[in-house]
Amino acid sequence: MGRVARAEQQPAATGNTLVVMVGLGVTFLLFMAFLNVVKSGNLLNESNLLYAALIFYSGAGTLYLGFGITGTPSYVRFASLATWAGLLANTGAIAHRWYEAGHPPFASIYEMLLSFVWTLAVLTLIAEKKFGVKVIGTVTMPVAIVGVVLMQLLRTEVHPLVPALQSTWLHVHVTLAMLAYAACALSFALAMMFLIKDNMNTETFLAATSLFGMATYAGVLTRFERWGGLSLVAWNPETKSEMFLAKGVRLFVVIPDLGWLMLLVFAAVAAPLFLYLGWRKTGDAAFINVANRAVFVSILLQVMALVFFLLRARDGRYGSLDADGLFSTSLAASPFILSGLVGGVFVSLMYLLLLWRRQDLERMLPSAEELDRITYKTIAIAFPLLTLMIAAGAYWANRTWGSYWSWDPKETWAAITWLVYAGYLHMRVTRGWRGRRAAYFAILGFAVVMFTFFGVTYLLPGLHAYA
Amino acid sequence: MPNSIHSTARKAWQTLGAIKTGVILLILVVVISAAGTVILQRPATDPDEMQRAYSPQVLRLLDGVGLTDVFHAWWFVLLLSLVSLSIIAASVQRFPNAWRFFSRPYKSPDDSFRSALANRALIPIKDEETALSVAERVFEKAGFRPERIVRENSFSLFGERNRFSEMAVYIVHASLLLIFLGGIVDALYGWRAFVTLTRGQQSSQVEMQNGSQHGLPFAIRCEGAGQENYSDGTPKRWWSDLTVLENGQALVRKQIVVNDPLVYRGVRFYQASYGQTGKIDKLVLTATSRDGKAVKDIAISPGETLPLDPDTTVRLAEFIPDYAVRDGQVYARSNSLENPAAHLVVETKSASGKPSQAVNVWLPPIPGLEQNTSSPYTFEGKDVQMAYFTGLEVSHEPGQWSVWAGVLLMGLGLAVVFYFVHVRVWAVPARDARGRLMLWIGGTANKNKDVFDQRFRKLVEQIESELKVLSKTGAEAPVTALAGK
Repeated sequence: MGRVARAEQQPAATGNTLVVMVGLGVTFLLFMAFLNVVKSGNLLNESNLLYAALIFYSGAGTLYLGFGITGTPSYVRFASLATWAGLLANTGAIAHRWYEAGHPPFASIYEMLLSFVWTLAVLTLIAEKKFGVKVIGTVTMPVAIVGVVLMQLLRTEVHPLVPALQSTWLHVHVTLAMLAYAACALSFALAMMFLIKDNMNTETFLAATSLFGMATYAGVLTRFERWGGLSLVAWNPETKSEMFLAKGVRLFVVIPDLGWLMLLVFAAVAAPLFLYLGWRKTGDAAFINVANRAVFVSILLQVMALVFFLLRARDGRYGSLDADGLFSTSLAASPFILSGLVGGVFVSLMYLLLLWRRQDLERMLPSAEELDRITYKTIAIAFPLLTLMIAAGAYWANRTWGSYWSWDPKETWAAITWLVYAGYLHMRVTRGWRGRRAAYFAILGFAVVMFTFFGVTYLLPGLHAYA
Repeated sequence: MPNSIHSTARKAWQTLGAIKTGVILLILVVVISAAGTVILQRPATDPDEMQRAYSPQVLRLLDGVGLTDVFHAWWFVLLLSLVSLSIIAASVQRFPNAWRFFSRPYKSPDDSFRSALANRALIPIKDEETALSVAERVFEKAGFRPERIVRENSFSLFGERNRFSEMAVYIVHASLLLIFLGGIVDALYGWRAFVTLTRGQQSSQVEMQNGSQHGLPFAIRCEGAGQENYSDGTPKRWWSDLTVLENGQALVRKQIVVNDPLVYRGVRFYQASYGQTGKIDKLVLTATSRDGKAVKDIAISPGETLPLDPDTTVRLAEFIPDYAVRDGQVYARSNSLENPAAHLVVETKSASGKPSQAVNVWLPPIPGLEQNTSSPYTFEGKDVQMAYFTGLEVSHEPGQWSVWAGVLLMGLGLAVVFYFVHVRVWAVPARDARGRLMLWIGGTANKNKDVFDQRFRKLVEQIESELKVLSKTGAEAPVTALAGK
């Protein structure tokens, strides 16, 4: 009580409230987790460590965002500390998994996410310490949080390696992939920072945010069914796997009314874009004011959609259009929709952050030229890693399947990623592309990377079935 | 006339090498290959599944355009060839300039170059010789291997490092072409095929992907194959023991596993699948004579006839791994060893040349078919050794060496492109506007310019301080003028 009262009297002290709150929250969650641990008597197992990592990364993310909102420098220090703690727990989880499985954690998408998030945290700290990009965590920590949340859903038991995966080349291939992808994620975060520092119009960000949300919800709405339902892949809780009608044909269940809600949210995220277009046409600032309010409304609706989705997809049994009877589904059956919804909320929040606290953010960033240069340097690291990753994969495929290149979707998308970054490098060297256009390119590159990593696994069939 | 043809060709060549062409081609490659990952592709997908996924009209359209097998369509190959040509054209067009730059380094900078260079400094000096030797020492220490450039009316210093990094980008492009070359060679002369073998079987014919047979100049024999499981029942390892035979002579023998193929004369044999053929290799039985005196263990293959005693033989007429009886007939329900039945024929020679007597023995006894009780021997099944087949992927990829060479070269090239900086430094004694004697120092780097900025400043400071030490008795204190950044 006393603390709060004092904070009200002295505005200067408000700077620490968030640190205290996050600290208390983290302590509380850790304490609750500890009670559970005491009950089970097993302290350092993988899921506890992962849970701790999630708590710390969330704390770090909140502090980075909080810094964005209040501009209090001490938040960044604590955020960085929380990142360190999260990294430690993450390292423990990797070590535990490695020890238990007897092979490096690269054999499933869960294990790869584990490594990816770890590499991302390491690179965040490097960018912070070495390059002085103190607020990079505002972008990378949300990515890490989404990663850990996905891991909780995709958690798999330790499976022995199937024969095709028993190769040193697998480890070389996946290590390189994780390093390359994390470097790409960092270049994306740096490019975002560049755009902030470069005084890019908030209006342009508004349009981009709206477009991103529209793309996400349009993707979700491809599952829209008659009578406003949303179809999700059915999940067998016993085998912990998706259900199939026939080979390659998934069984879908329809959650009633969720489709209408998604449609409503789609309209809400689309509204700012049209208002933006109105502003472009007339130059009337009133459009932008309304659009900003619309973003606020869309965030509320997005959170609502997320909550409904979480509640309804987790429990309950639903009918299907293709088969009789009721089936259950699970969040793990729709990781795409989930990460899309979470990502949409984050992106919209990021826009609000930019709108309100631009000056504070800018103060914490190196100069635009410096950011541009570091983005380039990160890509100069990522590109050779991508090349080697593809080469190691080709060599492994040649030893296993007798062909170094079979145009399987993952391979093709890896090549596309490579081409996009090659394009970036060429435009930079031959056309002198610096600054904004280069930053757009870096963002595009990371979008392709994410599609290669997740999209191909869940949307497109192919040889990389286990990853 | 020939002139205009010449100029058209020239124009086409220029267009091909332009960065715009390259970018358009790359965007096309990206879009088309992305489409190829979204649309179901032909050899990999079952025809049934294709028909389920698309309506007949759409499928006909996709097939007609080649979108159901994008990566082998002639226009995709053409597109990749155009990309190769564009890389060649761009490299060839830019190469002469780069080569001039590389082979004839710019050693003595003129006035306009000196006043335009980003990293430059002017240090007042007393005499040229001392200043140059100091600069020479500092450059030497920094690893630039300076050389003195003597012209009729001046002499100066030039030092550099990693000049080869200017050419690395051509190495990367050449490596890409090597990879493409390998891919083209494999597309033209390579093949993929499949062969299944059971233990003891040999073959010099393999089945190509289009269903035709391909003869090998040698034969491959399977000496054995097997599967090992983890304790939870998932497969851990598949292996095949293979021998290469040429003119009946065994030349190479190797046990292959999933990640470790057998290579012979450029033909690679990969472990691809393993399973039961549904036939048995050997049935192990105990035969006991009616009087119980003669007990014999036999292992019998289908169709094989084995003697039990001088007068009696047994033949394994049929083996059904999973049988069912319907209407007095025996059927095979599946190929897996679920519910086996064996049909034996026991023949007894009669002593006086009368026709021999054959008795049908069924294990287990099947009413209506078996004559088990009239057999001179009773049989008891001990073990069923099923015949397993090993599926071998066979491939011949003569172009792969070009691909690997390209990959290695590209790794090297990229390392040089990104991490080896070509740095050049110059030191030239000159008079400034007021006629004072100065040492002009300049430097440039082809990348990482921010790092070089700091390095250059240090270099200048070092020269400056060494000059100071030498002239500490001198009358005038050296004044530095750092220009640029």
